[in-house]
Amino acid sequence: MSSHDDIDRNPQTAQIGDESIARGSLAVFVFVLVAGCGVVAPPAAPAAPAAQAPAPAPKAAERVAPKASEPSKAAAPAKAAPKAAAPAAPATAPPPVAARPAAAPLDLRSLEQRLKDTDAIGVLTKLSLKNQVDDLIAHFRAFHEGQRPPTLSQLRPAFELLLMKVLSLLQDHDTKLANDINASREAIWGVLTDRDKLAQYL
Amino acid sequence: MKRIAFALPIACACAALAVLAADDPKQRQDLAAVIALQGKPCGEVVSYVVQGDNDFVATCKDGNRYRVYVKDGRVVVEKK
Repeated sequence: MSSHDDIDRNPQTAQIGDESIARGSLAVFVFVLVAGCGVVAPPAAPAAPAAQAPAPAPKAAERVAPKASEPSKAAAPAKAAPKAAAPAAPATAPPPVAARPAAAPLDLRSLEQRLKDTDAIGVLTKLSLKNQVDDLIAHFRAFHEGQRPPTLSQLRPAFELLLMKVLSLLQDHDTKLANDINASREAIWGVLTDRDKLAQYL
Repeated sequence: MKRIAFALPIACACAALAVLAADDPKQRQDLAAVIALQGKPCGEVVSYVVQGDNDFVATCKDGNRYRVYVKDGRVVVEKK
């Protein structure tokens, strides 16, 4: 993901390089995209652990909250906080939590492999998507470094648009993968907006 | 002998042209997707010509023609 510079230097291996880079970077993108699922799942802990140590959910809320001072959609990841905080009051909360989709903990490695193997996206398209993912991540990095613009409210539409592109490319030929990515939308946003989480995948 | 020597290059050239003006549906879809990703109007790629490694000229159904190539790891779409 770090550099594109060496891709075309050797024309004989350029196509193979492009393909592997495109697949790899797209895989990393989806890895980043989906990784949030595994990260977001823990706050849905039952009431007892929450009473003992309410650390994880508030921490996430704290991180998002200052950034969420920007209006509208930036508040989306913060939705997790009220949900996680709610079980502390009523002791009968666990049943609804258990009723949540059990498919949340996705296998990131298999998803990555599925993305590599999918024929739903051509090589050039994967490379083009990778370019756009890199551009978006560069904007997020600038945001995390304190640069304004972009603000979160400016980044959110760009994120949504890129996700729409990925989904529209996948949905007809790899519906399951498209659904899995779509289900991870907020979790992905959570990763992108969290400097530390994002750094883990770069 | 002279005829063969003369005809052989022509035959090779014709074969090469046939290969370059390939018509792989997946490649056409790939090119159409790339053009759409760049926000350029096209709709559907009806034909394309291979100019080199990762270098194509795509003709769209609406008549637009684009050169699609890879430069420094980036996919570039240029209107022709």
